Amino acid sequence: MISTYISGDSWLHRLPAGWKLIGLCIFTMVLFPVESPAIAASGFLAALALFTVVGREGYRRLLALRSVLYLLVFLLIFHVLAGTLTSGIVAVFRLMTMVVLATLVTFTTRMEDMLDALNPVLTPLNFIGISSRRIALAIALVIRFTPFLIALADELGSAFKARTGKRGGVRLTAPFAVLALRTADHVSDALAARGGADGFDNIDEVGEGNTPNDQ
Amino acid sequence: MPYLLSKNSNPTPSCEPREGVCVSNVSIARGGRIVIENLSLSLVEKRIALVGLNGSGKSTLVRALNGLISPIKGKVCIHGVDAVKSPKAAARMVGFVFQNPDHQIIFPTVAEDIAFGLRQAGISKSTTRAQAKALLREYDCEEWADRPISELSEGQKHLVCILSVLIMEPEVLVLDEPFSSLDIAVRTNLLSRLKHLRQQIILINHDLDVFDSFDRMIWLKDGRVEADGLPESITPLYRKHAMEVAGRLTPESL
Repeated sequence: MISTYISGDSWLHRLPAGWKLIGLCIFTMVLFPVESPAIAASGFLAALALFTVVGREGYRRLLALRSVLYLLVFLLIFHVLAGTLTSGIVAVFRLMTMVVLATLVTFTTRMEDMLDALNPVLTPLNFIGISSRRIALAIALVIRFTPFLIALADELGSAFKARTGKRGGVRLTAPFAVLALRTADHVSDALAARGGADGFDNIDEVGEGNTPNDQ
Repeated sequence: MPYLLSKNSNPTPSCEPREGVCVSNVSIARGGRIVIENLSLSLVEKRIALVGLNGSGKSTLVRALNGLISPIKGKVCIHGVDAVKSPKAAARMVGFVFQNPDHQIIFPTVAEDIAFGLRQAGISKSTTRAQAKALLREYDCEEWADRPISELSEGQKHLVCILSVLIMEPEVLVLDEPFSSLDIAVRTNLLSRLKHLRQQIILINHDLDVFDSFDRMIWLKDGRVEADGLPESITPLYRKHAMEVAGRLTPESL
């Protein structure tokens, strides 16, 4: 089963999550005005070379992202039809570079560290009444449960195939949604059992307006 | 443990008794149906077994202990904390281990998940990580710290679930059919680990053999206590009842 973290002790693992995000940001900005396919391609190769820090396992898992290629092919076809092949090639390399680098950051950053790095960025949400802590937790949950949901979909697909001999495809969307929602229900219970989305910091007082404080 | 958590830093509604778990005149409804009616129990023994056929109200009852479910009537008191008035304070006292680890583990890697409960209590990341690692070391699995949850075996996941709860130093450990997906060897190993804990344990399980050394067994039937006593005296009664029911079951009532 895939997972979103590769344990290791490389310099990239030790680099604070905030720096990694800033680095990713800078690299994107630098790459954005590039118009030469050669430079874009070397950017991509550099990103691939950087992947050596997570070793063979990293490259192997990168292959799981090959479905992104379909998107890139579409993008290229679009550019060919519009008569802008060169900028199409640049765009494709740029996107591949970004995907590879973002994946690398995910592979080398613990969720906890990522949340702490994101928290200051999300803090402005607090001013409009959205809890940044909740958003951060939601991001963690999405990342944690992606492999689980993929496995769930596989299981559902096998169950369908076992009885029909055919692939389920879109027909399994509804049952999958039901299973996913049921999982979400269980996880919300588990979260509540460990202090809920807001933690134990503000121990609650339930009751109609009366706040007992006889401790 | 070299650290101390301020469990009572905030004023929380207190209740008597200060020891053990006390359930008095509790009624609980789920989905518009009364599942538990006027139940009273005083739980002070260290190892308590909760048995009953499906639908007898076991899971509902234990979920009221840590505030996951609020009773419509009555009072639940955990070591002096009123679980109805302050469910979070109760959740702090009662560690809850769920049936399926995939429904309990929230973070993608082991140490993060174990540290989560402490972080929820507002403790810094470096401290909680050190504590999580110390606990893993205590259980001879320090190298799991950065391992992705998805790469653990079922038994290992169960152990992580238990450690995630233990790190918060709860007074009571509630386990709702925790071992149903494990083989006998792993199950026996985890169970013997549980038996050595200082915490009071309330265990729901269908396999009655695990309750051998338990101090008390409570048999729930239709949301009421059908029998209550030593496992060696309750087990035969319960087993006999279950066999009778098995003979009468129709597809409608399976």
